[in-house]
Amino acid sequence: MAAVQGGMVDEKEEVDIKTEPQSDGFVNTNATDGRQLSPSPGSSSSAGSSKTAAGAPEDQQTLLAVLQFLRKNKLTESVEILRREAGLPEDALDSKGVDCGAPGSGGSAGGVDGLDAGSLLSRVTVSSSAGTPAPTKAVADDQPDVSVVLSAYSQQGDPALYKVYYSDLKKFIESVLDCHRAELSQVFYPLFVHMYLELVYNNHESEAKAFFQKFSGDQECYYEDDLRVLSSLTKKEHMRGNETLLDFRTSKFVLRISRDSYQLLKRHLQERQNNQIWNIIQEHLYIDIFDGMPRSKSQIDAMSGSLAGEAKREANKAKVYYGLLKEPEIELPLDDEDEEAENEEGKPKKKKPKKDSMGSKSKKQDPNAPSQNRIPLPELKDSDKLDKIMYMKEATKRIRLGPENLPSICFYTFLNAYQGLTAVDFTDDSSLIAGGFADSTVRVWSVTPKKLRKVKSAADLNLIDKESDDVLERIMDEKTASESKVLYGHSGPVYGISFSPDRNYLLSSSEDGTVRLWSLLTFTCLVGYKGHNYPVWDTQFSPYGYYFVSGGHDRVARLWATDHYQPLRIFAGHLADVTCTRFHPNSNYVATGSSDRTIRLWDVLTGNCVRIFTGHKGPIHTLAFSPNGKFLASGATDGRVLLWDIGHGLMVSELKGHTDTIYALRFSRDGEILASGSMDNTVRLWNAAKAFDDLETDDFTAATGHIHLQDNSPELLLGTYMSKSTPVIHLHFTRRNLLLAAGSYAA
Amino acid sequence: MNVFHGAVLGTVLQVMIQILKDMGITEYEPRVINQMLEFTYRYVTTIIEDAKIYATHAKKSTVDADDIKLAIQCRMDQSFTSPPPRDFLLEVARQKNQTPLPLIKPYCGPRLPPDRYCLTAPNYRLKSIQKKVSVSSAGRISVPRLSVGAVSSRPTTPTLGTPSAAKAGAPVSLTGQRFTVQIPPSSQTTVSKSTTPSTPAVSNVLINPSLIGSKNILITTNMVSQSAATDSLKRKHEDDDDYDAL
Repeated sequence: MAAVQGGMVDEKEEVDIKTEPQSDGFVNTNATDGRQLSPSPGSSSSAGSSKTAAGAPEDQQTLLAVLQFLRKNKLTESVEILRREAGLPEDALDSKGVDCGAPGSGGSAGGVDGLDAGSLLSRVTVSSSAGTPAPTKAVADDQPDVSVVLSAYSQQGDPALYKVYYSDLKKFIESVLDCHRAELSQVFYPLFVHMYLELVYNNHESEAKAFFQKFSGDQECYYEDDLRVLSSLTKKEHMRGNETLLDFRTSKFVLRISRDSYQLLKRHLQERQNNQIWNIIQEHLYIDIFDGMPRSKSQIDAMSGSLAGEAKREANKAKVYYGLLKEPEIELPLDDEDEEAENEEGKPKKKKPKKDSMGSKSKKQDPNAPSQNRIPLPELKDSDKLDKIMYMKEATKRIRLGPENLPSICFYTFLNAYQGLTAVDFTDDSSLIAGGFADSTVRVWSVTPKKLRKVKSAADLNLIDKESDDVLERIMDEKTASESKVLYGHSGPVYGISFSPDRNYLLSSSEDGTVRLWSLLTFTCLVGYKGHNYPVWDTQFSPYGYYFVSGGHDRVARLWATDHYQPLRIFAGHLADVTCTRFHPNSNYVATGSSDRTIRLWDVLTGNCVRIFTGHKGPIHTLAFSPNGKFLASGATDGRVLLWDIGHGLMVSELKGHTDTIYALRFSRDGEILASGSMDNTVRLWNAAKAFDDLETDDFTAATGHIHLQDNSPELLLGTYMSKSTPVIHLHFTRRNLLLAAGSYAA
Repeated sequence: MNVFHGAVLGTVLQVMIQILKDMGITEYEPRVINQMLEFTYRYVTTIIEDAKIYATHAKKSTVDADDIKLAIQCRMDQSFTSPPPRDFLLEVARQKNQTPLPLIKPYCGPRLPPDRYCLTAPNYRLKSIQKKVSVSSAGRISVPRLSVGAVSSRPTTPTLGTPSAAKAGAPVSLTGQRFTVQIPPSSQTTVSKSTTPSTPAVSNVLINPSLIGSKNILITTNMVSQSAATDSLKRKHEDDDDYDAL
């Protein structure tokens, strides 16, 4: 089969990599449709015809293109068979609405004339579906049709002219009214990257380099890292194996532009004779149009920065049950309670459960809370009930924090950690610290004077009196008491650590691709969960135990249960590594932060992504849910902490102050204070209550997603505390609101 | 900084430093450059060797660009694998996410996967002994207070005297089989507390074969209470293996 253009031959190997045609469930560009058909454009036409079930316009186009190709190569029998099976009318061959959205090749400038405005808009509006495939032209130069449809990056025109196109667009946008300029400037970056990649892909190395040289300086500063990576990509072979880049190519960069600005752009580009730029925009960009005022530069800057543009508005429209689950009623033994409890009138003491620390006593269901059995959760054991009672007792002694009452900070510095401290976790009651190290060990220390002990061996356990009251102490072997224990097992640096809420298990995730479950009773490894075959950057137990989530280099996060050796849910969608995974307090949602600078919120029940938050300009390394479940805080390498409203899917506030990557974030127990720790050796305290207080979410904001961020970071900053050259990698509020911080001394 | 010998390496070092600068890496330990040099050297030689092999396979006299390209491609798929592509992940995720979350059984104890998938099993296995064995005189061990017999977890009484081949169970052969030797618990009386030797806990210990030539000897001891060396799980499995061997 003769290859029509150079582009086609290369396409073949792309197709072989893809496993099977997927038609639903993910971003489906026109080119992808075309690629499905390319294995057999000339031979078995029946394969092509099987795709025409829906008769969607795009499929029609590809079919017609294939028909044309067959005709051109004089495979008349195949033409007949295809036409018959696809049910195409006779005259369909002549009307070639191929160019509806498919990038026209160089020289087919005539395509512009007959293009229907409706067909163009249909590619671009939110409800993009059937614009009629306008039989646009019967131009003789039909030879690039098939390849045009079949390859993602066919020739868009003379490579030398790319610079001209781009500078034309630049001039136009600079001449536009101020209010529209900011919005239209969003187009620059994705356009630049796609044009550059196209030049590289089609082996125009020198033109690509010149193009890059000329225009890379104009881009926004927060894309600097991406541009640096791009600058090292000069050949097509370099693009292979870079999954992030391939994802970028196939997914559409999302832009939010107001209708007025969009009309301006469209009019300008359509006026011109050769609108290759328009074609690229249509193919690689998704323009989410809204009606209303154009946004200002600062508004746009706040939300942009991610690898895939911003989030579509529908992406953030699903209902999220962000309320907390109801706490079970537990009778408090009031023997050593505070005096005031006893002073209540002579009611039998057992009948008075504590009110405020147990959540609402109302029988009404919080409309924003998930139902108790939305996801199966383990039942409470007796030991859990005892834990809860301890928790409530501690809660009564909790210090109320506020701007006038800042928490004390206790810093645990890991001295002489030549092993390279990479992860730290505290138990909820702050009695144990675990550290994960680059030498693949995990060490557990006891913070309290109580030492760590292993459980006795089975023979010894047979001998103890099982009915005695202190059986839990008797099962411990005194001979093994020590301050710390080392756990060996991983074969790579340990990047994530998490204690289980009942303090019986410890999870650790490592560069060797496994997540290990350790028992804290015997201090041995129980299970190794294999699934990620690439470094696992983070893992966390669910607040109720039993479930845990892990995220790694393979760009997915997985939900596991301790008694299943395979994951229960796979959360796929990020374009780059998943660097941080956190459970929502009600355990129904998982938030993941990624190197593609977005945060996604996933529903545990269905595995769907319910929220996408963009705005960070660097990979996200830490996330924290507020205790009431309504808000999410995130910290990244750009040194900013962003606060998000989960219910509406909007950014609430931006906290500027840190100068280096933020690795630790934690809300205080009541959600009043947010503490952040960073590589710049400081811990900063922010007034979270105030940041969430003045939220005005009116309809317009909710509908369009426009936010008006106040620049009040200095007011919200309550304190900055420096350590002596110890980067802070973990923060934890004790049950009484004392802040613990951990880091390894960097001499 | 450890510097290799040779003036030419000075320029390669400069190249490395420039590469790091171009990629935007400003802070790095000095040893990183050496590591990069080593890696480069190893990578390039591997590629060129592979390319030579491909060239000879294609019966070419010289190595040309195509060979190098092929070598790079093959190595890339082998050593520098990249994560699966996005659509594959999405498809797998879609399938996985369709199954509902499993219900949680109540009152379960530690919730762990089936034993096969856990790391809680002993990581050694006992060799089984043959049934038919014959003993020759050389096979006799004249160690006092030792008896040769089948691997059994139910030793009745310690037998003294010469080993007899006619012990119920397994006569032992010379050919590298295992002998079970029973050490009476009298030497361990300080440790043992219980009075029921009927269910002894056995601990199998391999003694130094060089002591007795080329035969493996397994010592089973009547030990009821064991020090913390072996833990309970292992002991259970040993019992099972013992029964299996019979």
